[in-house]
Amino acid sequence: MSQLNDMKLLIEAKIKADGLDAKDVKGKISLKSGKLFAFINETTPDDPESVAKFKRAAKEVLNMSL
Amino acid sequence: MHWNSIRAKVVIALAICLIIGVAGLVLLMRYSFENNSRALATDSVTGAQKLFSILEAREISKMDALGGVMIAHPQVREALVAKDHDRLLQITAPVFSRLKGQGITNLVFHTPEPDMRVLLRVHIPSRFGDSLNRFMLKEAIRTHAVVSGCELARAGFAVRVIQPFPEAKGGVGGYVEFGEELGQFIHTMKDQTGNDYGLLLSKKYLDRQLWSESSTAWNRRDNWDDNATFVVADQTTPADGLMQFNGDLASVPEQGEVLERFQHGQQVLVRGLFPIRDASGNIVGAMFVVHDISGFYLSMRHTQNVLIALAVAGLILITIFVLTLLSRLVFRRLDHIIHVATRVVGGDYATEIQVSSEDEVGQFERLFEQFRRVFVDVLSHVPELQEK
Repeated sequence: MSQLNDMKLLIEAKIKADGLDAKDVKGKISLKSGKLFAFINETTPDDPESVAKFKRAAKEVLNMSL
Repeated sequence: MHWNSIRAKVVIALAICLIIGVAGLVLLMRYSFENNSRALATDSVTGAQKLFSILEAREISKMDALGGVMIAHPQVREALVAKDHDRLLQITAPVFSRLKGQGITNLVFHTPEPDMRVLLRVHIPSRFGDSLNRFMLKEAIRTHAVVSGCELARAGFAVRVIQPFPEAKGGVGGYVEFGEELGQFIHTMKDQTGNDYGLLLSKKYLDRQLWSESSTAWNRRDNWDDNATFVVADQTTPADGLMQFNGDLASVPEQGEVLERFQHGQQVLVRGLFPIRDASGNIVGAMFVVHDISGFYLSMRHTQNVLIALAVAGLILITIFVLTLLSRLVFRRLDHIIHVATRVVGGDYATEIQVSSEDEVGQFERLFEQFRRVFVDVLSHVPELQEK
């Protein structure tokens, strides 16, 4: 289980539900969090700093609380 | 628009330019106005001085001619030689009443030297028999010729012409003196120029008691105490306070002196003065000149406001033009690069950056497109991405 991966799946679901430009949203979150969206999977380690940055980026781009 | 954006910085820079430009414009207009108002004041003083000289010469010429007529009049001559006060008054009073309409204020007959006395003042018949000790009379006695010029009596200042009555056997049978109060000149000068004038007389040449008496006789307020060193003998404006001068009349330069610009109610005025010498060459007074420059001032203010409005409008247009130009040349293209870069990171490896020009931003577009291709190439070799 990876918390980062869970958050990634939630974000992808939100993008799909809202009909957003997936490449644009993922790109913005990746740039803000410093974590390439495409590299996140079930085995990605959850270091606290990366998790916090990812949450902050999702909040800023999608106004989404993870 | 963020405060640290290039747009904001450009707008701030142009706003500063606008403020500096408007301030410079206002200062320039003020400087120009100061210079021009001073030039107008100088012109007014110089013009008044010339006009005064012309009027003085004209009146002297007129009184000289009148003197000639008087001398040629046999009945006047007989009465003067006979020292017949009443007869002389009877003959000359009707003439004087007509001459008053021509501006003549004084008509005096003097007996000959050595016991020279006033035989008749046609303008004040009751005062006669006194002996005068004036420079012009002394000159007339000395030269037995026509003497003319301005002369200050103890209670007033007048342009005078004194002519001797030559006798057939030689010598002089008496003198006739015409005079015109200088106070009258300023009203003529106002009619001709529109300026206001004031005649200032130095107190040291006046007698306090006589000034008071003459003020009463002429229904004039006794203004002796209004100023320390001079009195205002006459002025063309009823407004008090326009004729202000703190210096010494004797130190006013020959060509006149411009004083200052000042505001009186809604009017903007400039003032100056020039000295008036008497026949003996002493500076006994000065002519004060007040020139209304309200029209010029309003015109300057209008021009200033128009220029400021034009400057503001011009700079607003320049700001819009510069921002539009920057938007087309820089901002939009940078936005496009940011958009493409964001999408590349988000997984869009197909969208390319189009190099739209060979300018500085175009070079950056080219570099970024090259970087994008390298980045995509690197990602294509990442195993996790290939599996997908």
